[in-house]
Amino acid sequence: MALNPPSRSPSIFKKKKSFSQLSSMTTAASYLSAVHQADTRARSHDNSSISSTPALSLSSSVTASSEDTVLNEDDESNCLSYPFTPPTSEQVFTTVHMEFGHCANEAYRCVSKHDYTKPVEEHTIEEPPYYILLTTYISYLILLCFGHMRDFFGKRFTKSYFTHLMPHDGYAPLNSDFDSFYTRRLKRRMDDCFSQPVTGVAGRTIVILDRYSTDNNHTQIFTGGKTRALNISSYNYLGFAQARGGCADAVEESIRRYGVSTCGTRLESGSSELHASAEALVARFVGMEDALISSMGFATNSTFIPALVGKGSLVISDELNHASIRVGVRHSNVQVRMFKHNDMSSLESLLREVISQGQPKTHRPWKKILVIVEGLYSMEGTLVNLPRIVELKQKYKFFLFVDEAHSIGALGPHGRGVTDYFNIPPRSIDVLMGTFTKSFGAAGGYIAGPKVLIDALRLRGHSGPYAEAMAPPVLTQVVSSMVSIMGVAPSSQSTKSALALSPAASIDTLKDGAEELPGMAPASMLPTWMNLHPTLADGSEARMRIRRLAFNSRYLHQGLKKLGFITYGHPFSPIVPLLIFNPGKMSMFSRMMRSRSTPIVVVVVAYPATPLVASRVRFCVSAAHTKEDIDMVLRACDEVGGILDLKHGLGERWGIEEVCKRAVELVHSV
Amino acid sequence: MDSSTSVALEPLLSFLAFSLSKLESGFYRIPGSAVVARYVKSSHQNDPGRTILELILVIFAIRTLLQSRTRTDRSGKHFIKFSEKEIDELVDEWAPEPLVQPLSEWEQKDLSSVPVIAGPNGPKPKLLATGKVVTNLASFNFAGLAGNEKVKERALETLQKYGLGSCGPPGFYGTIDVHLDLERDIAEFLGTEASILYSQGFSTISSVIPAFCKRGDIIVADRSVNFAIQKGILISRSTVRWYDHNDLKSLEDTLISVEKERKKRKGPLTRRFIITEGIFERDGEMVDLPKLVELKLKYKYRLILDESVSFGTMGRTGRGLTELYNVPASQIDMLVGSVANGLCSAGGFCAGSAIVVDHQRINGTSFVFSASMPALLATSGSEAITFLRNNPSVLLNLQDNIRAIRAVLEKTEGITLLGHRASPIIHFCLRTQQQSLSVTQPTYDYEAEERILQDIVDDAIANGVLLTRAKHLHGQEMVESRPTIRIAATAALTRKEVEKAAGVVKASVTRILSKRR
Repeated sequence: MALNPPSRSPSIFKKKKSFSQLSSMTTAASYLSAVHQADTRARSHDNSSISSTPALSLSSSVTASSEDTVLNEDDESNCLSYPFTPPTSEQVFTTVHMEFGHCANEAYRCVSKHDYTKPVEEHTIEEPPYYILLTTYISYLILLCFGHMRDFFGKRFTKSYFTHLMPHDGYAPLNSDFDSFYTRRLKRRMDDCFSQPVTGVAGRTIVILDRYSTDNNHTQIFTGGKTRALNISSYNYLGFAQARGGCADAVEESIRRYGVSTCGTRLESGSSELHASAEALVARFVGMEDALISSMGFATNSTFIPALVGKGSLVISDELNHASIRVGVRHSNVQVRMFKHNDMSSLESLLREVISQGQPKTHRPWKKILVIVEGLYSMEGTLVNLPRIVELKQKYKFFLFVDEAHSIGALGPHGRGVTDYFNIPPRSIDVLMGTFTKSFGAAGGYIAGPKVLIDALRLRGHSGPYAEAMAPPVLTQVVSSMVSIMGVAPSSQSTKSALALSPAASIDTLKDGAEELPGMAPASMLPTWMNLHPTLADGSEARMRIRRLAFNSRYLHQGLKKLGFITYGHPFSPIVPLLIFNPGKMSMFSRMMRSRSTPIVVVVVAYPATPLVASRVRFCVSAAHTKEDIDMVLRACDEVGGILDLKHGLGERWGIEEVCKRAVELVHSV
Repeated sequence: MDSSTSVALEPLLSFLAFSLSKLESGFYRIPGSAVVARYVKSSHQNDPGRTILELILVIFAIRTLLQSRTRTDRSGKHFIKFSEKEIDELVDEWAPEPLVQPLSEWEQKDLSSVPVIAGPNGPKPKLLATGKVVTNLASFNFAGLAGNEKVKERALETLQKYGLGSCGPPGFYGTIDVHLDLERDIAEFLGTEASILYSQGFSTISSVIPAFCKRGDIIVADRSVNFAIQKGILISRSTVRWYDHNDLKSLEDTLISVEKERKKRKGPLTRRFIITEGIFERDGEMVDLPKLVELKLKYKYRLILDESVSFGTMGRTGRGLTELYNVPASQIDMLVGSVANGLCSAGGFCAGSAIVVDHQRINGTSFVFSASMPALLATSGSEAITFLRNNPSVLLNLQDNIRAIRAVLEKTEGITLLGHRASPIIHFCLRTQQQSLSVTQPTYDYEAEERILQDIVDDAIANGVLLTRAKHLHGQEMVESRPTIRIAATAALTRKEVEKAAGVVKASVTRILSKRR
């Protein structure tokens, strides 16, 4: 994270650094590579010198002693702990490299923005060769056969393992062996790849607790050892999962001031001033009139959708919508129809059918139709075709609910999600929902929309009277990270911006000139005690985060393609699924990545989260990754993928060295 | 027959014969085909009708298999075929209702009267609207953990090591060691084999229930269970039988009648559950746990007990009803509690046997599909348990304060106190003209009573005591309960302060009710 030295007054509107600066930096880097080597040698010999290296100069609040504890916790000096290129004296990094990688090279940045000269890409699925499909089916068949055989003999010879699956003492089995077959016989074989306990910050790197199993994953035994691994799995898109830095400082202050709980539900005296200011800020951030906050992302969907629709309404839902949306729809007792994932013609024909047919049997017109889509789909990495849906909305008069759980913060030139990416006014959508777990490094979720709607939800949603309010530290993390993305408007402007809060005006400010970012946060919206670091307050740091994320996502995506892998999803999506197909390779992939000299932790997903044959590994890119980290992931994939025979993609192939060398070209080529 | 046609057909026939023989030889080359052929032949010999029947069956099976894939409403008899133009017209004509009905005047008032607290919440918070410090009889701060310095200290330490968010669901690197610690702390505290942590109290039980109760299972539940349980039951799609509120006689009758029905139908053994609350959120009644456990064991039901209110408040050290009644927690199959209410942090848990807990790690929807809770909230929960273990006196203070509040309010004209006398939440409603609550259908005007109660709340706040009505989703609850004001007792206030505050409430009640007359 390269920042201007504090002495130089930072300019808010300075977006891009000139490329002349860049060239000087690369030469500086090459000059310093010799210094770097000497430096690493020195570090490996003498641990005490670590705290004094400029690479780890931390934010002012951190004392030298706590710094040592952070560093001494992991002894291995693999390449995760220190940047590839040591910083020059000009560059001041305020983050810990293990949490948020140091990357000063301005070439490794990109802007995520829809190119309106091209049509919105349809989601194409690349098919693997037939023998892969065949072997996949066969391996599932073998797994099923063995599973049933083991069940058959197990129930007769080792009854103790099956007590909960068989009736006993007049109790029916707790769960049927049919329902749990998949879990017991397929998932358990690779349980070491799931639910891996971790410790510390889920930032650029993560520390996993080593474990092993001696009884085929029935129980896991912890060795007590820990391993630091490169983390390409957490939903830490903008890299705000940090134990050090401006946001953590603000959270610290808020714990001192507010404690950890507001002791109640929102409607029953658990509302704090922090809730009010955070909600106003969220509304401004997403460009809606009002917003409300809920303490759990899952519950935001499951408890507020029932307040939107009721009997006589129809919900049209994308077939790959998240479980929370499905639960919410089931809570609300309405008719549901699904359309093919992201297929706009399927949606349109469904709309024509349901509107013309009306309600089943009675043929009365529907009271209302709510279309629920996600901005960015968490398993596919596909981006919703928002321009087309908004067009359809004009014609078919349905209400549109966009779940931006993954896209908010992660997409768009200003991090405002899919609306920002496609440059569509947010208010052309009825309800915008999102979570704070992902890009903001917090927890919980929000719903934003017109004030009438939000007020009704506050009172009629299930969360208001029954669910606990969001905790003050979490609210502070939300506010501080969000404000840093928006940037705080200088105080002279704050009166004007505050006026712009009124519904009519804020749309205008959203589109004000090219230089001005949409909806900066007026200083009056911040809690008075919150003192943000200047680079956070002017938004420059978050801008860097957004651009780094866009670069990293695109680089990993294009890199994997060039290496010959089959990937899904949009090139700007920070979620990059790499298709593995065979269930056996899935666990192998995860284990091989984890046991490398520089361990990498990955998420593998299979049926039932994906179609049976489309098992995949899902990378979640973060702004915290440096270009070298992505290189490392690509190298690892290249090796492992070669061994496991995963490279079945069509199109031009490059070697790994070429991919790493031509990264910038690759990113800008699409 | 004309010879010319037979000549013309000859190559065709010979081709057919050739391909048939080819097919036949190919068929016999498949291993095991001889068995099939022999079976078909012999069955045909014995009974030619059977072959036709079997053929029909096979065709039927294929047809249903294909049909289930492509079944849409289009094929239904209710489907009307329209031309494209007609559809366009229908689309143009269709005018949907607005997405939400705007709030009514009363709802507006209700929303704007929600108190907002400036600064930390605790026994004496400051209100944002007036800037006045009030005595808090509304927030869930039973053991007085709000603002506890040790908890804060622990939260700060955690923040410095773990940051805030966990950035992932428990399955994908979102399980932090502090979550495992809290799960173990809760299990040890209660004396169960294991426990599982959910990231929101409200979403816990509505996810626990459908994880175990499936279609065809039987749930016997209290008629007045809280909203989260109602939603969980709705989602489970199980067969539900309701028994009268907190009436274990009625429960037993229901259990007997369920068993009778099953014997009559000779149905298979299905899973059966009793679902109820320890202390009812709705009115503060307390369930007779030993009796309940006895019934559950006698009729072989599994018990899902929601201790969201009683965990952290009841018993000597706050272990809940199991401690109060000295019932081993292991006898309760799924013990659900709230970390948010009792431990003043956030989230909820379900404690039980290792099998029960592990099952939820894959089948608990809001566990699997939600991010795990922030690390510092988990350690705050652990610290709160330590606090409860080491300070049993706080719960004695709590009981003292409950008695003090009840003593004052029992003497207040015009209201009826509800619930168990030891319950940390104290509900009171307006007294009806009949002076008795045993009337099965008391006649009252819901909204009018709400308004009166809100006036009492506003008056009390103006006089320095923070109160709240018990908020419900009117019209969405299964059983409409009477509007009440809910007081949450706290150990953080002294007996004097509590008595004074209860006196203020009494004065407000008297003032508002006398104004009405």
